[in-house]
Amino acid sequence: MGAGRAVSISLDGVRDKNLMQLKKLNSVLFPVRYNDKYYADALASGEFTKLAYYSDICVGSIACRIEKKEGGAVRVYIMTLGVLAPYRGIGIGTKLLNHVLDLCGKQNIGEIYLHVQTNNEDAINFYKKFGFEITETIHNYYTNITPPDCYVVTKYIAQPQPKK
Amino acid sequence: MGASLPPKEANLFKLIVKSYETKQYKKGLKAADAILKKFPDHGETLSMKGLTLNCMDRKPEAYELVRLGLKNDLKSHVCWHVYGLLYRSDREYREAIKCYRNALRIDPDNIEILRDLSLLQAQMRDLAGFVETRQQLLTLKPNHRMNWIGFAVSHHLNSNASKAIDILEAYEGTLEDDYPPDNERCEHGEMLLYKISLLEECGSLEKALQELRKKEFKIVDKLSYKEEEVSLLVKLNRLEEGEKLYRVLLAMNPDNYGYYEGLQKCVGLHSKIGQYSPDEIDQLDALYKSLGQQYTWSSAVKRIPLDFLEDVKFRDAADNYIRPLLTKGVPSLFSDLSPLYDHPGKADILEKLLLDLEESLKTTGGYPGRSEKEPPSTLLWTLFYLAQHYDRRGLYDIALAKIDEAMQHTPTVIDLYSVKSKILKHGGDFVAAAALADEARCMDLADRYVNSQCVKRMLQADQVPLAEKTAVLFTKDGDQHNNLHDMQCMWLVYELASGESYFRQGDLGRSLKKFLAVEKHYADITEDQFDFHSYCLRKMTLRAYIEMLRFQDRLHAHTYFRKAAVGAIRCYIKLYDSPSKSSTEEDDELAKLPASQKKKLRQKQRKAEARAKKEAEVKNEEANVGGVSKSGKRNVKPVDPDPHGEKLLQTEDPLMEAGKYLKLLQKHSSDFLETHLLSFEVNMRKQKILLALQALKQLQRLDAGNPDSHRCLVLVPIIPIQDRTLRFFHKVASRPAPTTDGEKLISGVLEAERLTFSQLQGKSLVEANTVFLEQHKAADLHLDKYVHLKEAVLVVYADSLMHRAAVAEMIFCLEPNKKGEAIKLIEESSNNLVSSNGTVREWKLKDCVTVHKLLVSSFDDQDAALRWKTRCADYFPYSTYFEGRHCSANRDSKQTHAENGSVEVPPSNGKVEKLDALKNLAI
Repeated sequence: MGAGRAVSISLDGVRDKNLMQLKKLNSVLFPVRYNDKYYADALASGEFTKLAYYSDICVGSIACRIEKKEGGAVRVYIMTLGVLAPYRGIGIGTKLLNHVLDLCGKQNIGEIYLHVQTNNEDAINFYKKFGFEITETIHNYYTNITPPDCYVVTKYIAQPQPKK
Repeated sequence: MGASLPPKEANLFKLIVKSYETKQYKKGLKAADAILKKFPDHGETLSMKGLTLNCMDRKPEAYELVRLGLKNDLKSHVCWHVYGLLYRSDREYREAIKCYRNALRIDPDNIEILRDLSLLQAQMRDLAGFVETRQQLLTLKPNHRMNWIGFAVSHHLNSNASKAIDILEAYEGTLEDDYPPDNERCEHGEMLLYKISLLEECGSLEKALQELRKKEFKIVDKLSYKEEEVSLLVKLNRLEEGEKLYRVLLAMNPDNYGYYEGLQKCVGLHSKIGQYSPDEIDQLDALYKSLGQQYTWSSAVKRIPLDFLEDVKFRDAADNYIRPLLTKGVPSLFSDLSPLYDHPGKADILEKLLLDLEESLKTTGGYPGRSEKEPPSTLLWTLFYLAQHYDRRGLYDIALAKIDEAMQHTPTVIDLYSVKSKILKHGGDFVAAAALADEARCMDLADRYVNSQCVKRMLQADQVPLAEKTAVLFTKDGDQHNNLHDMQCMWLVYELASGESYFRQGDLGRSLKKFLAVEKHYADITEDQFDFHSYCLRKMTLRAYIEMLRFQDRLHAHTYFRKAAVGAIRCYIKLYDSPSKSSTEEDDELAKLPASQKKKLRQKQRKAEARAKKEAEVKNEEANVGGVSKSGKRNVKPVDPDPHGEKLLQTEDPLMEAGKYLKLLQKHSSDFLETHLLSFEVNMRKQKILLALQALKQLQRLDAGNPDSHRCLVLVPIIPIQDRTLRFFHKVASRPAPTTDGEKLISGVLEAERLTFSQLQGKSLVEANTVFLEQHKAADLHLDKYVHLKEAVLVVYADSLMHRAAVAEMIFCLEPNKKGEAIKLIEESSNNLVSSNGTVREWKLKDCVTVHKLLVSSFDDQDAALRWKTRCADYFPYSTYFEGRHCSANRDSKQTHAENGSVEVPPSNGKVEKLDALKNLAI
């Protein structure tokens, strides 16, 4: 762990007033520039998109999209999850992902999934720790990075039994 | 009231008065009309109708009716009172006072009128009159507390504090022993504290202390009680008791710097200029160490020692102070420490200290000598501090490198962008600074501070339309100009900055308009005190009331007012030197045309003007209608008839306008050099030689300080003074021989004064009799002077760039044929190093720009100007003015806004997501 003393980590929602924070994060975290749809989806997902603050500094984010499946069920797609390099390894990514998983549980959402580049073992291991599994491989998913293949990583959350 | 009317009408008249007081104006108007039907000439009714209409925004009618009413009944105090109220509502207080006085002549014991008069007298600071009115009120109603207090306050304001004390004691004598009742304890306590502060003011310190202690149980505000007690103890030189009490106060609030200062005074360790002997420093160190153990949570107790400690002890204390704050992440740390940069040597120590911390954080992740790791943000704040540190030292390239490194580390901290913007501004790249400030703004659209800062930067870069668009984001309904004006807090960034920007761009009208808007705010603030004259007496907040009045009395000494007034005067001077083109040019063109065409053109112009006027009126009305429908009541917001300040430019006599503001400056800011420089400029243009001389003498007075203790303060001012002194006598010398008695008198004064000025310039003239030299020889005398001056400046004072420039300008002014020599004097200046580690240079960007402008305009030498520019571009690589190699004007051509991120490349299929960033996420 980084510091020997407790530093508060808090989450905050994304609004149009602070959207630039998410854009700044993405511009250094990912080699892709996201389009307007990404940000519209992120804003629309409400509580499912969060910024993480490390003692009042914005250092990471999770951005999700809510997708409607046929038959009216809803699933969550994690578009991005990332933490600035100096702040990794102190549980911020975990906190962000747990937040979304908790929300899914509360809102009875049974499926949550994402895409991971096939060589990104750290990420795959990270998600496995939370009960995600590789459910599919898509070839040539990416156009400008190698390897171009990706896994679909999914977690199914057991629906709580309806009330007695 | 209404006595001359039959009973029915008299009742109606009472109804008008009642309706006025309860703001039921329509009802009052009806009643008035009913009376007037029978008695159309009844003066008091006419007056009251006028007063009612005044409240319904029908001013012209109101004045007409009130005046008519008065004419019909000159012997009625009601009519005079109403006339006074009308003037008061229009803030014409002097006129209002006259009306009240007339009313009182008819009805001398009318309490209401007396009270209204006293308020106006307090507002206008008619203090003798105020005392008189208050006395009358007390005589009439001695059983009212407020009348006693008001009488005492009036004497206090009229510089008779001891009389005020007598009155308050007499008032206390009227009270029962068990006074005050529970619900008036606070008010009574305030009165007692006020009385004690009066005793203190009179110098009756013993008595004040006695009284304070005697009444302790009746004083509710215990903190004020203690502060007053300690202040008296210190003044009475009872320092031991004072020390004890200061320690009690510190226990209550260990972050009050004033208490620490007081404590230091009591133990004999205080110096106004912060200079102490090594022995004293040791004692202070010990004192603060022991205090620090007592008040571990106080930050003041840790910060203050940094001011007096030196060398190694300073280093260690600073280290201890800085570390936890960097760990915690305190963005204001640099501002907190920046006063230390004026202490010799401390900047170097801090630099070394911070660089050591940075090095250690980068290699071990922790502070030097500590095994414990720091949070990742510590490095960020260290870099952030260093960037500001190097900015302060003028090393902009290192500052930018540090801030860029910080941004790479954590790109989401808004303060980083603000500071980078500031560095670029200091480096002279206003455009890039504005772009960075905008980036900071975009990161938190809800933050008014970053918005304001961005507007300011845009204005500094002369991007006025963009700045207005940005500022308007925080106003209601996009009604920007009125709204920005109404929110007075904006004047600092907005009105002053845009006034200055317009001035730089030569748009004098708008510039004047903005400066005058600031002046308007100050008028409003003066106005705002009115309500407090009655409120404070009622609520007994007397100490605060007096303080507020004193503040109002020196209101126009405030920096922002001074800046705005200086700006406005500059505009008027410029206007005088180059009268607005439009009118003269047009006249020239008109003169060329034949008479018939001239007439046609004039008619056309007149028509256009009329049309424009009508349009403005329509707009005005529309705005009013809109206001009514929205809020339900009449909401008058007139459209500004002169949004671009064109009317302001058409002033007949710009120097007279300038004179108005000059007077305020002379009254309230007489200790500022600029006041008298402007006075000199204005009066020279007005040909008021003696007033110009007076300004010169004021300048001389300001300069009279001791050069060693005020070296920096004195050096800069001396140049404009001498420059102007020379120009003055140069000009005087070229005046025609005096013919009239008045002129002879003037030249007599000048001859006499010349002696004092020649002594000012380091070396007095050898031949005392040259004072009476004939005027045509005066020029020689000036040559002598400037030779002396040149030596004096270059030998006695530091050989700085600005001194050389001023001397060169004087040489050229007196002897145009020595231009080459003058320019050489400037070009031979060298940009010396000033820091111990040999990195910080002496020249300031602002000064170099001034010199360049001098070369272009005064000397009119393009070659020299170009040489100067090339040289400065080297020293100031970020300056857009000198087109340095790093400035945004040059960078743009090579790379198009790469850092701006405006070019967005959408991913090919729109759903490429990647979690590369999680690679290092250790679990």
